[in-house]
Amino acid sequence: MKNVRKLLAIMLAFTVIATACGSDEETPTATTAAPATTAAPTATTAAPATTAAPATTEVAPEVVADIIYDYGVTEDTIRVGALADLSGVFAPLVIQIMDAQQAYWDMVNENGGIAGRQVELLVEDTGYDVPTHLEKYEIMKDEDNGVVFISQSTGSPHTSAIAEDAVSDGLGIIPLSWYSGWPDPDFGQNIFESGTNYCYEAINAVDYLASNVVEGDAKLAILTYPGEYGQDAAAGAKIAAEALGIEIVYDAEAQVVPGADQTPVISGLVDSGANFVWITASPSVFAEVFGGAVAQGFEAVWSGSLPTYNYMLLATGLAPSLDAYYYQSGYYLTWNAGDSEGMTNMVAELQARIPDKPLSDVYTTGWTAAMATHQILEAAAAAGDLTRAGVIAAANSTDIDYQGLAANQSYSGTPNENIVRESYMFDIQADLFDAEATVAGGGSTGSVLMNDGPILSDVTAAHVYDGACFKSE
Amino acid sequence: MKGRPNLYTSYQGETQLFSTRTQKVAIVLFLVVLVLMPFDLPIIDKIPFVRFLGDNTWLRVVNRMLIFCISALGLNILSGVAGQVSLGHGFFMGVGAYTAVLMGGANTSSLWGWGLPMWLWLPAAGAVAAGVGILVAPAAVRVRGLYLAIVTLGLVFIGLHLSRIFTEIAGPGSLGRKWPKLQFRIWKEETPLIDFSDKGHWFWFDISRNQKTYLLLLGLTVLFALAAANIGRTRTGRALAAIRDRDVAAEIMGVPEAKYKTIAFAISSFYAGVAGALLASMVGQMPPEFWDLILSVEFVAILLIGGMGRVSGVLYGTFFVVMSHRLVEEVVKWASRQAEGEGTFAALWDGLISVENGDFGFITLSESALGYPLPASALDEVIYGLLIVVFMLFEPLGLYGIWIKIRNYWKGWPFSY
Repeated sequence: MKNVRKLLAIMLAFTVIATACGSDEETPTATTAAPATTAAPTATTAAPATTAAPATTEVAPEVVADIIYDYGVTEDTIRVGALADLSGVFAPLVIQIMDAQQAYWDMVNENGGIAGRQVELLVEDTGYDVPTHLEKYEIMKDEDNGVVFISQSTGSPHTSAIAEDAVSDGLGIIPLSWYSGWPDPDFGQNIFESGTNYCYEAINAVDYLASNVVEGDAKLAILTYPGEYGQDAAAGAKIAAEALGIEIVYDAEAQVVPGADQTPVISGLVDSGANFVWITASPSVFAEVFGGAVAQGFEAVWSGSLPTYNYMLLATGLAPSLDAYYYQSGYYLTWNAGDSEGMTNMVAELQARIPDKPLSDVYTTGWTAAMATHQILEAAAAAGDLTRAGVIAAANSTDIDYQGLAANQSYSGTPNENIVRESYMFDIQADLFDAEATVAGGGSTGSVLMNDGPILSDVTAAHVYDGACFKSE
Repeated sequence: MKGRPNLYTSYQGETQLFSTRTQKVAIVLFLVVLVLMPFDLPIIDKIPFVRFLGDNTWLRVVNRMLIFCISALGLNILSGVAGQVSLGHGFFMGVGAYTAVLMGGANTSSLWGWGLPMWLWLPAAGAVAAGVGILVAPAAVRVRGLYLAIVTLGLVFIGLHLSRIFTEIAGPGSLGRKWPKLQFRIWKEETPLIDFSDKGHWFWFDISRNQKTYLLLLGLTVLFALAAANIGRTRTGRALAAIRDRDVAAEIMGVPEAKYKTIAFAISSFYAGVAGALLASMVGQMPPEFWDLILSVEFVAILLIGGMGRVSGVLYGTFFVVMSHRLVEEVVKWASRQAEGEGTFAALWDGLISVENGDFGFITLSESALGYPLPASALDEVIYGLLIVVFMLFEPLGLYGIWIKIRNYWKGWPFSY
């Protein structure tokens, strides 16, 4: 029994870390010029396309003739890359993210592809290892067999290690990581972060919960990992607390260390008299701290950064407490949450393509990353330039429409103008969760959308972005 | 009589690194091929392995292999020659890497760095690691075998803990920090004298970054390999071997055990420190978690698979351990292309590889989740683990031992038995 629990804890830890380090890609499906893929049943570009294939073949020849391209694109294919962790610590999550991306491109290809070209997804396994990541990046950038755009690069240090090369090779990258430093051009001009970041997420969540859920005056406790993940979120929570006059009764920024004994943090929290907790950790460490505090009779409103929570925690004995105290924060909608057009499309497509896979909140991550890539490539094709430089230019001038799956994204203008500031908040309802459920049945992961849509704190809206909230150098 | 294998007429002759003319010619040819490997040259590009290892997409893997080779040579002196088990080799690489970043890295409000040139930080990385090795050595004098393994294992965890405390050196959390590049400067001037980290023009041809780095690393590896081979031929090397074979007997013969174990630790850590600095500098950014137990175990695996105590064994082992992952991946990709095509062997490959979902075959590229069929990304781990077990059971001399058997077979041919 003990072993089983240990195993579960390790698996959860892996998932958490994985999420923390990087699984954020929300890409919208809608194309720029004309919604071609998702919107297939209704209207594609010019021609009506119930089966988009004839439409594209008609339109394609003239379009194709005008498009210039260099690497990763031919007359009939477009190669998109993903540096994915298929065998390392984040593999359980990243595999699901890749399933969603592959399903997305299958859908696009069935509807005629982009500018008459079929999209090939080149997935390379990085094992969540920085040197391997760089070695696989060499394959991506190769002039003969490389790609035109990288729709996923897993992990913060990993993406950071290739950021400079991406500029000199003219390759655009969507990172699977939500550090608030990515939009900073000093950090990497060609890194296109998808979704908001750990910092703004914390501001929104602290503001929203303190105003709407916490009873009486909020007394905030902040518990986070050290490093760019935990301390970026801690910086956000503190910005919110200062602006809103919320008292911080317990500050354990950077004091939750993975693998260490969490007892001091738990007793510090329980003794602090806090009624509101912000935690940024991994699911396993979160479960340890949350479970420990609840066991001592500690009652408060809890919330934390997206990678802190995993709906599989509802399969543990913590389910009733999570239902009572925890509010899940995120950068995009969880599985089957809300009734936006994008969610309906995604659920229907995944039900048709991967019906036997388990439910997962990260399908949206992969799906939206592919959406963003798709819209950027459509824009580049519409501009007649599918070179790597053309794709970067398209990315920098495209507004990405996630059809309600996530807050829309733009990369044009300054980082302060285009950074995404909205996030989402979910109430946990443990009775909706079924550990055995598969994609085919739709179902729910137990997260119910609050506020009927994204939340945006006035503090976040007014915040002037001039680099990461938490700076590493 | 001269030039016959295994016939030695003097002690000096027996300890020669390359005792026959054939060996000397072979090693020179081998080095020439290695130097020319990354360049598109007509004859070189026809040689098996060399023809693709020199490609840009492979060269980075080869570069990592060379660095691992330097580090493994160090562990070989400690474990192979002196017989001391160490699970802390990754820690010493980390010490070297952080010495390099402290001395050569950029100084900012939250990070320490002195911005010194490479000719200072690279040797210093080795020297500081060696110094730490000397500090640890007394423990090795008191304990041995399994107990020493545990002591050195502890180092890895101490290192990870220190990296969390000194975020000014290691960088915050899992993001790590930027390492100084492989650039040769006299002092802190703007333009480096030789830049190994950017493409450029050398003599009369264009050369890429990976090619430059490769040449630098190849030179260093040859240097370190020669040094390692030579250490084995000296008084120190003989003392270390005596300690390995029987430490009590060595002491009775007058070999001061404490002194020589300390020397072994120092040399081994020096190699590891230099390798760690080179690796971090080549990669450019490393999270502290990289220098963990898995890394240390990888070096033990290199020695086990390649063969302990031999420089050439280390070379085979490193090639195998570093390259196997990528090679297996490529072979599976190639096989799945074969399976889809027509041909005599297509059916065979089709039976092995599952190309589509539900297809028969136990290896798959289309699935990533563990289970049946096995994803290609997990296949290499299985092979790796099996090989370690097989080598431990049947071929304790490792790949080197296999090579010796093949060589002896042909030497005695047609009277081999």
